[in-house]
Amino acid sequence: MGKSLLLISRQAPWSGPGAREALDIVLAGGAFDLPIGLLFLDDGVLQLAPGQKAPLLRQKDLSANLQALALFGVDELFACSASLAARGLDSAALNLDAVQLLNAPELAGIIDRFDQVITL
Amino acid sequence: MSTLHVLSHSPFTDTRLSSCLRLLGSADGLLLCGDAAYALQPNTAVYNELGARSDLKLYVLEEDLQARGLELPTWARAVDYPGFVELSIEHDKVNTWL
Amino acid sequence: MAAVLSIESVMKFAIALFSAAHAPSSRRALLFAQAALAGGHEIVRLFFYQDGVYNAANSIVTPQDEQNLPREWRDFVEQHQLDGVVCIAAALRRGVLNADEAQRYQRTAVSVEAPWELSGLGQLHDAVQAADRLICFGGA
Repeated sequence: MGKSLLLISRQAPWSGPGAREALDIVLAGGAFDLPIGLLFLDDGVLQLAPGQKAPLLRQKDLSANLQALALFGVDELFACSASLAARGLDSAALNLDAVQLLNAPELAGIIDRFDQVITL
Repeated sequence: MSTLHVLSHSPFTDTRLSSCLRLLGSADGLLLCGDAAYALQPNTAVYNELGARSDLKLYVLEEDLQARGLELPTWARAVDYPGFVELSIEHDKVNTWL
Repeated sequence: MAAVLSIESVMKFAIALFSAAHAPSSRRALLFAQAALAGGHEIVRLFFYQDGVYNAANSIVTPQDEQNLPREWRDFVEQHQLDGVVCIAAALRRGVLNADEAQRYQRTAVSVEAPWELSGLGQLHDAVQAADRLICFGGA
């Protein structure tokens, strides 16, 4: 099975390469069949906002990478409810399916569920 | 299970510390490095908040504390690099807030 | 009750660096790595990602009176024969190329050479699997 790794993604989609490079780590892990989790926290939840038009900024559209998560066997997806609420995002209208919403107490326990963690 | 969280951003301009405190488990440790050491500047809201958390295992990297002319409060422990290595072993994992 | 002598076991560390050579966290990573080895532990791999790739660049010019981190990293890796891997995708994006990549993409500047190896994220995952602890350095 292998050691599990949690990626905590905290950057908005086009704030720099952070969001993309965090996803690349996740997809690479999935490609190697490793147990990987992905938590969207703080500005990271903005990657899940609907209606994004990355090409207008000549930026890579990360939603394709997000849809690929399921194909790569990465199904442990989480988002912080408070981060979504603070940014006015409707948790029922995200551009990614099957994201588990975590409230404060659940957030405190999430890292314990994984063997290693990277917060990008 | 316990995690050592590592912060290196100033708490005054950056939200990593407050996000970290939301995520903190009861057995976790918090190591302040670099500009995160400014959280030990007295008479600040962050200093008071950290001091009030009696259950928090708070550490600061000695060189960063001393370089900034800060005093070590009784509720924090200063570590050098061998101490940092030991902390990373004592806890089950290290979560650096990059 | 019998007294048990606790023998500190040798820990395997994977160290990942995400910030450029001039960032305080890069120097911190090197000092941590040195302390880990001095403490009798092992470093499974050093993995440079995001701006961390700049630590492997031989093109960085540091003033005489400042700490030359790229050289210190290189000396450290060579002295201890460590596995120093630089993420190839992150490196290309930042213009940090070895001879093979410079030729492939018809670029004049070669800034990565031995002991640094350009490779993929699989090497990071491999290190995470092999190590007891993953320590990341970066940000500020």
